[in-house]
Amino acid sequence: MMRLLAALFRHPSGRIGAAIILVYLVAALLGALGLTPHNALKQFPLDRLKPPNATYWLGTDLLGRDTFSRLMLGIGQSFVVAFASVAGATLAGTVIGLLAAWWGSLWDGVLMRIMDVLLAFPAILLALLIIAIVGPGTFTSVAAIAIVYTPIFARVVRGPALSLKRRDFVDAARTFGSSERYILTRHLLLNLVAPLTVQVTLALAWALLTEAGLSFLGLGTQPPAPSLGLMLSESKNLMQHAPWLMFFPGLTIMVGILGFNLTGDALRDILDPRTERRTA
Amino acid sequence: MHWTNTKRLLAGLAVATTLSTVALALPVEAASLRMAWSQDATGLDPHKQTAFSSLRLLELIYEPLVRLDEKLNVVPAIAASWDFAADGKTLTFKLDPKAKFTNGAQVTSADVKASFTRILDEATAAAARSNFLSIDTIDTPDPETVVFHLKTSDAPILVAMATVNAAIVPASEITAGSIGTKAIGSGPFKLDSWDPNSKEVLSANADWAGGKPGLDGITISVLPDETAILASLRAGQTDFALLNDPLVATLVPAEANMQLNRVPGLAYNVLQLNPSRKPMDDLKVRQAISCAVDRQQVIDTALAGEGQVTGPLTMPSFAEDPSTLFCYKPDLDKAKQLMKESSSPDGFTASVIAATGEPPYAANEAQVLQSQLAQIGVKLDIKMMELKVYVDTWLKGDFDMAVALNGGRPDPYPMYNRYFTKDGNLLKVSNFVDDTLDSLMKQGQAETDPAKRVDIFHKFEQHLVEQSPWIWLSTGYGYTAQLKTVHGFVGSPTGTLFGLAKVTID
Amino acid sequence: MSYVAQRLLTFPLILLGVSILVFVAIRMIPGDAITAMLGTEAGLLTPAQRASLAAYFGIDQPVTTQYFRWAAGLLHGDLGISATYGKPVLQIILDRFPLTLELALLSMLIALLTGIPLGVLAATRNERPSDLMVRILAMLGQSTPSFVLGLLIIYLLSVWFGIVPTMGTFTPLNVDPLANLGQMIFPAITLGFAFAASVTRISRSAMLDVLSDDYIRTARSKGASQRSVVWGHALPNALIPVVTLSGVEFGYLLGGAVIVEQVFALPGLGRLVLDAISQRDYALVQGTVLFIAMNFLIVNLIVDLLYVVLDPRIRLGGK
Repeated sequence: MMRLLAALFRHPSGRIGAAIILVYLVAALLGALGLTPHNALKQFPLDRLKPPNATYWLGTDLLGRDTFSRLMLGIGQSFVVAFASVAGATLAGTVIGLLAAWWGSLWDGVLMRIMDVLLAFPAILLALLIIAIVGPGTFTSVAAIAIVYTPIFARVVRGPALSLKRRDFVDAARTFGSSERYILTRHLLLNLVAPLTVQVTLALAWALLTEAGLSFLGLGTQPPAPSLGLMLSESKNLMQHAPWLMFFPGLTIMVGILGFNLTGDALRDILDPRTERRTA
Repeated sequence: MHWTNTKRLLAGLAVATTLSTVALALPVEAASLRMAWSQDATGLDPHKQTAFSSLRLLELIYEPLVRLDEKLNVVPAIAASWDFAADGKTLTFKLDPKAKFTNGAQVTSADVKASFTRILDEATAAAARSNFLSIDTIDTPDPETVVFHLKTSDAPILVAMATVNAAIVPASEITAGSIGTKAIGSGPFKLDSWDPNSKEVLSANADWAGGKPGLDGITISVLPDETAILASLRAGQTDFALLNDPLVATLVPAEANMQLNRVPGLAYNVLQLNPSRKPMDDLKVRQAISCAVDRQQVIDTALAGEGQVTGPLTMPSFAEDPSTLFCYKPDLDKAKQLMKESSSPDGFTASVIAATGEPPYAANEAQVLQSQLAQIGVKLDIKMMELKVYVDTWLKGDFDMAVALNGGRPDPYPMYNRYFTKDGNLLKVSNFVDDTLDSLMKQGQAETDPAKRVDIFHKFEQHLVEQSPWIWLSTGYGYTAQLKTVHGFVGSPTGTLFGLAKVTID
Repeated sequence: MSYVAQRLLTFPLILLGVSILVFVAIRMIPGDAITAMLGTEAGLLTPAQRASLAAYFGIDQPVTTQYFRWAAGLLHGDLGISATYGKPVLQIILDRFPLTLELALLSMLIALLTGIPLGVLAATRNERPSDLMVRILAMLGQSTPSFVLGLLIIYLLSVWFGIVPTMGTFTPLNVDPLANLGQMIFPAITLGFAFAASVTRISRSAMLDVLSDDYIRTARSKGASQRSVVWGHALPNALIPVVTLSGVEFGYLLGGAVIVEQVFALPGLGRLVLDAISQRDYALVQGTVLFIAMNFLIVNLIVDLLYVVLDPRIRLGGK
């Protein structure tokens, strides 16, 4: 783990990506602890729609709330949704992928066809359907995004699991009397960590994007909780009054996604030996 | 031909006064108006539609017996004249012999009778039904005369008829069951096509009894984003637009090629409490909320200052100075004191529903109220809902509190009868039964002397505000924006776009 | 079993799964066809009226019966009647589809025309400044949400240049090509930006792979010019992953770009679904979602088959 981090920091784009994620994590943490320049929910009626200044570094919104503080909380909100949903998708996808590979034949076919069915829907559309059923909210967003990305993890896990299953060491372990569960967890997972790590990082970028998109459509995080997508959609009609309300949330979303994409790419370079040839 | 003159006079309005009749007689180069709005109509049945945008569309296609002018006076529409018997129990209409449906048929007394029978039929679930419950029988002595016999004296029924929810539709279409799928009216325009959530194409009804409209037709596009509407006006791609968002509307005057029409409206923003639920069943809690709300601050913050503090009576002829009403000067100390004496001295948590984008500032309004009520220990959870879900929830009365923009009428009786009388059809929404309100409503309905009616409804208003089942906040404005090439539009407090009938375009 | 046969066999199976999922999902959305049609007034219905309407819509039947009815209709191209539009669902979809199709094609065109040359350029100048530039640009492209870019474009256009793309209604290409392009170009750029970034990255890495293959070295040693090596020998092979990627991406775009259509107020399939969901128009949601998923599956099938044609290794079962 430490070696991986060290390698990440040696990688040029990995360094930038990791730094971005770190800064965002710190901002989210401070926001969660309430250590924002202003109370993000407090309305300062006299200071509405103020452009960036010394008191309100990134200006205020229509209700007189501090944009900077709201961005900090918004990052936290986006991260919570992104991490929780990717964790859910990874767990569900890994279990499904492993079971499909392990049981094989009919079960493999059934499970993977179900995953194909889910993949036949554009991500945002599937999420919209789920939200229409359950009603919008933070938990719904997490569940929707998790379901949308589960098939991808199932596919990522199934391939290597299948090839690993055929390898001798599993058979060897079997003859040594190891239990099926032990083989599954120990050998297979170890050999899946590399592709999963890369996939998780990239999935975090998509999850951030999807969360922001859903909130933008008004179907994600609900007010008054700040959310990057919601802030952006609220800024639409204020574009001319207060362009900063559009620029900063937009930039924050973009840089955040960039951070995960850069890290994911770097991890792929480091962990996937096949790519070494490319950059060499 | 006395009716023709009346008709031109009212429909012409500003045009008739500024331009001479000669100018009207000159062949005007008519053209099609490109109009935009952000919320599309939701249906075509004039008797059932309640959405503002549906009403705006249908008012161009259908006509009621009478309509309201821009000063909220009752003026002729399909009826050329009317007569209220002295006892207030018989109402006789003479129909305009020139009134024709766009299928070519004459509008007759049979159509009027069929239309009102349809509205009164419970199975229709007509929006305005409860305003016409006093109708006993309808006589049609000849094709141009309709007589309404009323069970009780009902002065406000005439105003109640001045809405497209009481439009006269062809009896043949009712029999065919095609109301709501085909739009055959007698109004200034006819609907050529409707592609929901995208566009409507209207063409002028050359045979309209009110005279040939100044436009060849109207194409209405749905642009869900009002900033986009503004941009489209700026680019000259749209001639005329209906705006809902005060923020966008305030940008219009800065544009050289545009003009903003701003008309104070009758609709009101309100925080509805649900007195059938704890702890809103406690009068002290409701009053505490009323005293804690700073109405002016809600307007300044959530509505960009575009609005006026109002009590329940929003129509100018009945409105009283809001500052005299109970707790209209925010009084936090009194609010805290009331809370302390109430059934929930330590405050409580309640959810408040609001519709996404309808009105555009709904989320902001809810958030400002949330922060104001937090000061007396009332914690609000905001639940934003899509309009359709919101309306369903609202109709079922399934909420603790609701942020709403409710429509107003020029007369208090049709405006509040459905919420605050014992047989009101929206009692489920207000959940508030009160003997005083009920009897004041009945008095106001029966009374024919205007001054006495104002007194009665002032008592009604004061009692209603003191009981605080709802917290009335503000009235806003109706906005339309137009290019300077568009002439002759006159807006109305009811929000109707009927003024488009006399609009011309360069 | 050969790869092609397997793909062709599972296709109807997945389609069946998709139709069941859509059907079940729609039934789980709160509210029903009656509230969808009568909206606010449904609350005023008497139980008897409700029952007769339920019978009319067939929602008094068991769910399985309803599904078989619907599925039987599907086979005849009958997707039901939309409650809001009062028109057959299929007709509404086909009205909206041209816009979505054009938008998808246009953004793919933009993506391929910029992405492939940039990718090839970056690959041939591996690790040099121009390569780095292209890679940074591609990274930014992949990280920019469409709604951020869309809003930014609208802002720049309207505030700085005072122009605005036509919104709201759609002018078909065959009616007024110029107006159509003026309307579609900005949404297409918005969608095409991220798409181009993916194409750039994939064509760059594919080119790098191919350029290090033996046959390229052979060609080089035989004295072929750099230009003919890159564009003549290497590119055709490097295009295989580009085709796959573009196909998948195109399949998704055919489902309507929900967010971009919302930002630019375009009446395409994406907004149709969004509006249908918010208006609880069940028949319409059901039909449109199925149509979108089917499009995606068909495009994917074609891409897979094309892949077999382009890459003989798969056909022979080598890779």
